[in-house]
Amino acid sequence: MTGAVTRQQVEDFLFQEAALLDEWRLDEWLALFEAGATYEVPTTDRPNEDPSRSQYYVWDDYELLTARVRRLKSKHAHAENPHSRTRRLVTNVRVGELEDSSLPVRAAFLIYKIRDGNVDQFVGRYEHILTANGDGLRFRKRRAVLELEVLRPGGRLSFIL
Amino acid sequence: MTQATTAPQVGLRGRRSPYVFEDWDARIFRVSREVFRSEEVFARERRVWDRVWLYLGHETEVPKPGDFKIRTLAGRPLIFSRDSTGQVRAYLNSCPHRGTILCRETEGNAKTYQCFYHAWTFANTGELVGIPDPGAYPPERGFAAQMGLRPLPRFENYRGFVFVSFALTGQSLREHLGDARDYIDLMADHAADGLEVIPGTHLYGIRGNWKLAVENAMDGYHFSPTHVTFVEYLKTTGYVTSDEGGRAITLQNGHSVLVFSGHGGRVGMQWEPRFGEAERLRVEENVRRLAARVGEERAAQVSHTSRILYVFPNLLLFDIEGLAARQLEPIAPGITDVRAWELGPAGESDAARALRIRILGSFIGPGGLATPDDVEAYECVQRGVVATAGDPRPEVDWSDISRGMEREARGEPARNVDEAGIRGFWRHWDDVVTGTSA
Repeated sequence: MTGAVTRQQVEDFLFQEAALLDEWRLDEWLALFEAGATYEVPTTDRPNEDPSRSQYYVWDDYELLTARVRRLKSKHAHAENPHSRTRRLVTNVRVGELEDSSLPVRAAFLIYKIRDGNVDQFVGRYEHILTANGDGLRFRKRRAVLELEVLRPGGRLSFIL
Repeated sequence: MTQATTAPQVGLRGRRSPYVFEDWDARIFRVSREVFRSEEVFARERRVWDRVWLYLGHETEVPKPGDFKIRTLAGRPLIFSRDSTGQVRAYLNSCPHRGTILCRETEGNAKTYQCFYHAWTFANTGELVGIPDPGAYPPERGFAAQMGLRPLPRFENYRGFVFVSFALTGQSLREHLGDARDYIDLMADHAADGLEVIPGTHLYGIRGNWKLAVENAMDGYHFSPTHVTFVEYLKTTGYVTSDEGGRAITLQNGHSVLVFSGHGGRVGMQWEPRFGEAERLRVEENVRRLAARVGEERAAQVSHTSRILYVFPNLLLFDIEGLAARQLEPIAPGITDVRAWELGPAGESDAARALRIRILGSFIGPGGLATPDDVEAYECVQRGVVATAGDPRPEVDWSDISRGMEREARGEPARNVDEAGIRGFWRHWDDVVTGTSA
């Protein structure tokens, strides 16, 4: 990809990602990350703290992210077997300035997670860093920040936020 | 239940309460599933929580003078703080005037707390220092002195872990903790300069009774089947887990502890391949310094065994891959709030701290590779025990906790893959909830 990245290109990327997650196509989802990329979810009481100094809900380096995907594909990932139904609404997309192949992207999300008679809602914002190299967009850092005060009800991030 | 037709012997041989059945002749221990569903049981438990020591938090959560956090304990809103003189405090978060929530920020730093409703102002040491139009209260009657912030009736600190009680009298904290202190000491001994709470709290709700979280933590039996995906992940990093040599130790006052040696390495203390080469050198150095500080034998105990300590009723201390404190706050029979903090030695290097956070987080917490499956277990039990409620067959509505009784009866030490620790919990729970013990 050369030159400016448009919001439409970023939205297409995020909407396609949401579809892959809602359909539990996790190998294809993992392929959206560049090698060495991270996935992080800070706690609700320290949304802006650095993960090396603060407990996080999720702080995956690429190896742990790969392990997370491998786990979620197993029928022994009991928390998601059977899989939750999810529907992700991704909106309010804002694209920052491309710098050294890093593209900051902000968006809002609302995720409905449905399982066992419960409908849980997870609302928050994405603070991603994408890369825009020759072959399209990829995640360099995928960061989901919850607006919830407490992860309640449904206190598990067993799915991908 | 069928076993009830033959009367169990009393005392050490057995127990037959509405909630707990124990028969050492038959080697059977069962718990009525009513304990997970009943509003009446929940109300009885609340009365217990109103008189026993409850874990409030760690003193390093409020490190600087003026720091405060609000926290609900046994359903009551509290302020956990450090006053301007440096003393750690706990107050009811309710204005002495008319009961308004006084502090509406979740955390911060304040010399005073002001109630927004009528603008009464309290020093962080508790004194009422400001009332608009004070002349309406006769000064010679000492009105302001009666109306300071309400501290908790009892408050004690054991090695940085702060406990409170809503009762004016009862056991001292040291008596209540008893031998659990030894295991808190083992955890505290990790650090030459004390443990500190790492910022960032796991705050989450589960759709399950609080006692299911206790059972789960004192249950090494579930580890292999429930956490098979985590075990497989460790295998890919070059570590093979083992249940060999684990112990369950029942302490008095409802506390118990599981001891492990083969579930994973321990950051700073016991190396495992995924920790990386830099950590291998740090571990050698840490263990050498630890031995110099506490002696070889104790150093081996601190560094090379993992432990999960349950302190009745609301605290779990994890001394495993990393260090963590987990607080259980029952909301309703089928709903529990969980708060979990990670701890680390004060003053450890940035690299060690970052590794500690990543390693523990890979296992526990709502986003870890293991805890979500525990939450699934609590929630599935909570949904499942509805099936047997009111069943006409009296033996059906009971859960079985008998595993390992035969071994225990032979006088062998209880394994962590047996259910001895859970039985100890239930005996004490039964004593205090049915009122046969303080």
